[in-house]
Amino acid sequence: MVDDQPGKLLSYEAILGPLHENLFKANSGREALEYLLKVDIAVVLMDVSMPDIDGFQLADMIREHPRFQTTAIIFISAVHLSDLDRIKGYERGAVDYISVPVIPELLRAKVTVFAELYRKTQQLERLNRELEHRVAERTEELRESESQFRSLANSIPQLAWMTQPDGSIFWYNQRWYDYTGTTFDDVKGWGWKIVHHPDYLDAATRKFRHCLSTGEPWEDTFPLRGKDGNYRWFLSRALPIHDVNGKIVRWFGTNTDITDRKLAEEALIKSERLAAMGRLAGIIAHEINNPLEAISNAFYLLRDHPSLDEEARYYSKLAEEELARVAHITKQTLSFYRESQRAIPIALAEVLDNVIELQSRNLHVNSVALEKRFQTQGKIQGYPGELKQVFLNIIGNAVQAMPNGGRLRVGLRESSARKNGRRGVRVTVCDTGVGIRREHAKRLFEPFFSTKEAKGTGLGLWISRGIIQKYEGTIRFRSIALAGRKATCFSVFIPTAAATEPTEISALVA
Amino acid sequence: MGEHKAVILCVDDEQNPLTLRKLVLQKAGYEVLTANSGKEALELAASRHVDLVLSDHLMPGMHGTELAQQLKAEHPKLPVILISGVNELPVGSAIANAFVSKSEGPDALCKEVATILNLPLETFEN
Repeated sequence: MVDDQPGKLLSYEAILGPLHENLFKANSGREALEYLLKVDIAVVLMDVSMPDIDGFQLADMIREHPRFQTTAIIFISAVHLSDLDRIKGYERGAVDYISVPVIPELLRAKVTVFAELYRKTQQLERLNRELEHRVAERTEELRESESQFRSLANSIPQLAWMTQPDGSIFWYNQRWYDYTGTTFDDVKGWGWKIVHHPDYLDAATRKFRHCLSTGEPWEDTFPLRGKDGNYRWFLSRALPIHDVNGKIVRWFGTNTDITDRKLAEEALIKSERLAAMGRLAGIIAHEINNPLEAISNAFYLLRDHPSLDEEARYYSKLAEEELARVAHITKQTLSFYRESQRAIPIALAEVLDNVIELQSRNLHVNSVALEKRFQTQGKIQGYPGELKQVFLNIIGNAVQAMPNGGRLRVGLRESSARKNGRRGVRVTVCDTGVGIRREHAKRLFEPFFSTKEAKGTGLGLWISRGIIQKYEGTIRFRSIALAGRKATCFSVFIPTAAATEPTEISALVA
Repeated sequence: MGEHKAVILCVDDEQNPLTLRKLVLQKAGYEVLTANSGKEALELAASRHVDLVLSDHLMPGMHGTELAQQLKAEHPKLPVILISGVNELPVGSAIANAFVSKSEGPDALCKEVATILNLPLETFEN
């Protein structure tokens, strides 16, 4: 309450007392301003005509403060105010007028109204602040939760993504971009089709769309192209996310790289098949050998039999020869064979010389030049028959690869195993022939695999490798093409140091 | 005439192969006894003079290697040769004096027998 006359102030106090509000009395504009700054004033009751300051001017000053721009100001005026004056007052931010003489009920009523208004406004402001605070909290929680989600989504090894209910993708995790080498613009929406393998695209899209419409979880397997241009296999899954009303608001999906698993499965099937082939070959060999021996014995008995004339003896001889070939096949090509029980000291140089001698006619026919580089005798403990078989196979292959001439280089030297440095001897057989094609290289040691068209059983290298493995040795090869010239080299390593007696192992395991 | 022919005991469960093996060994100059099983072979070796046992490996009942073990136990000086259609040395075959594959043929068999008996190879024309 602002009035220069204390008496008036007391009368206002008396009138407003029953309202049980906090009443402050100010004698001057200055005092009024002091109060305003110190206390939260709801209503200012002001005498319009005061000696030191005009009520209107005071109102102006009050209104200057942004804090008091909405403070209720009630003017008490003794002087009759015209409508024009009132309008002037309203323009200055007055809220109401009361004329003198003041009617107590009127004053009380007006003050009450504005007091209530003030309280309501305060309440509203408080509620607003609270709301804003809560919103800030929730927003922070959400941001935190989203940041955690993104960290998780980017740390899992799978590719992950999210779609709108219609299936259009609006987010991918970092792994997706790392693997595909794409940007968001490339693959947003349905853009992922560009990295999808074309052969599987239609079926996968159809399946995905079906799940989108039915809401059932999606699962499919197909290749996706990586940034290196190669395809890898992915097991893909997506689950719908529902809102509180059960409506699908988005799909969350992943792609898991199962390429290694698929390759391992294929390799396992392949090795099982090879093992089965090997077992079969061994069984056939054994089953054949029994009647074979009986027949060979019968022909032995027919030799020089007195009841046979020259012609019959001739037929018998031919048959015996052919039978010997059958025996050769079961012995040399269907499985492994050791002709004596104990390993004996062998010089590989002698074995190789023997094999070269056997191949001398072929070398001549194919016009192949021979280069021998024996740096050692190559003494090992072993079984001469099977080692001869191995080198006959490898050198034979080399000569056959040069039907129109070339050079055969056979080397023998002391060496160490590449893997563990174990000491031993190494035989190298190099030819300048047609070379081994890349797609054949992987299958060269497989049983029944042959590059010789109709010739050959395709078992030579498989058996040779099996024999060398019994010596804990290795067979490797390299085919190179440089400046129009080709060369293929086979390298056979047989350890000598810490070599335990070559043990008998099941020959039928690849 | 009066020359002592070595006696070979031939063991095999299959008749044709056994007969033919016997005839080959006879042609090579040996006296041959036959048995169809390990049990029979042991009985024969106990009752008759035998210079060498040539036995098949895979037989029903007793395998060749088992027979070899028992023979060695009862007749330590009696040489045993195992013959088989399998191309790899069977487990335990080291107890025998030699192992011959059926795919080697009759000449190799006779050579092995002669070697083990330390006799030169002889053929008699009948």
